[in-house]
Amino acid sequence: MDSVLEELQSIFRDVLDQPNLKLTRESNADNVDDWDSLSHINLVTSIEQRYRIKFALGELQELKDVGDMIDLINVKIAAR
Amino acid sequence: MMEYRWSDLYIGLRHEFDATFSAAQATAFASLSGDVNPLHVDEAYAIGAGFPGPVLFGMLTSSLYSRLVGVYLPGKFALLQGIRIDFSSPCYVGDHLHVVGEVVFLSEAYQRLEIKATIHKDDGKLISKALIKAGFHGN
Repeated sequence: MDSVLEELQSIFRDVLDQPNLKLTRESNADNVDDWDSLSHINLVTSIEQRYRIKFALGELQELKDVGDMIDLINVKIAAR
Repeated sequence: MMEYRWSDLYIGLRHEFDATFSAAQATAFASLSGDVNPLHVDEAYAIGAGFPGPVLFGMLTSSLYSRLVGVYLPGKFALLQGIRIDFSSPCYVGDHLHVVGEVVFLSEAYQRLEIKATIHKDDGKLISKALIKAGFHGN
């Protein structure tokens, strides 16, 4: 499993309180239970804190799924 | 009441205030919450359990975190989004409580701020600490 995907799975499990959640690159707010607007903010801020990166709202609005999020995280990590 | 907007905030922004709870307020909290545990409402029981008197409800003293967010940090335009509280020591009617909150994290994308907050008694004893997540409502 991709290391970022593995770490995101851990964050998602904690934030969404779903200890058995299986996250894939295709996961999105439509196919993950309880991924609503407020939990989305909690996910984004947890990811920012984990990787010490900052997202712009426009960047987040372009993301379609977890795979896009992983790609964006990798870009930001590389740019640190 | 403070009226901070997102652009006014910075890491380290801090507010503090003092508060005291009366017996009448503790009784009112028991009534509105339905928590009638004798440790909080029965003096003889609380003394028998080794406390100097009825212990103030942790959720009553934690209502001061609501005041911190809604009145000070960020104040008028606040939207409380989450709070994690750890209780450290009991406190009692008449205790002088000192509340401090400080902005420790800002997330631009959704204008989310996180505040570390504490409540201490005036003898310096920590009553509780909290990590608060807040945003802004419209207007």
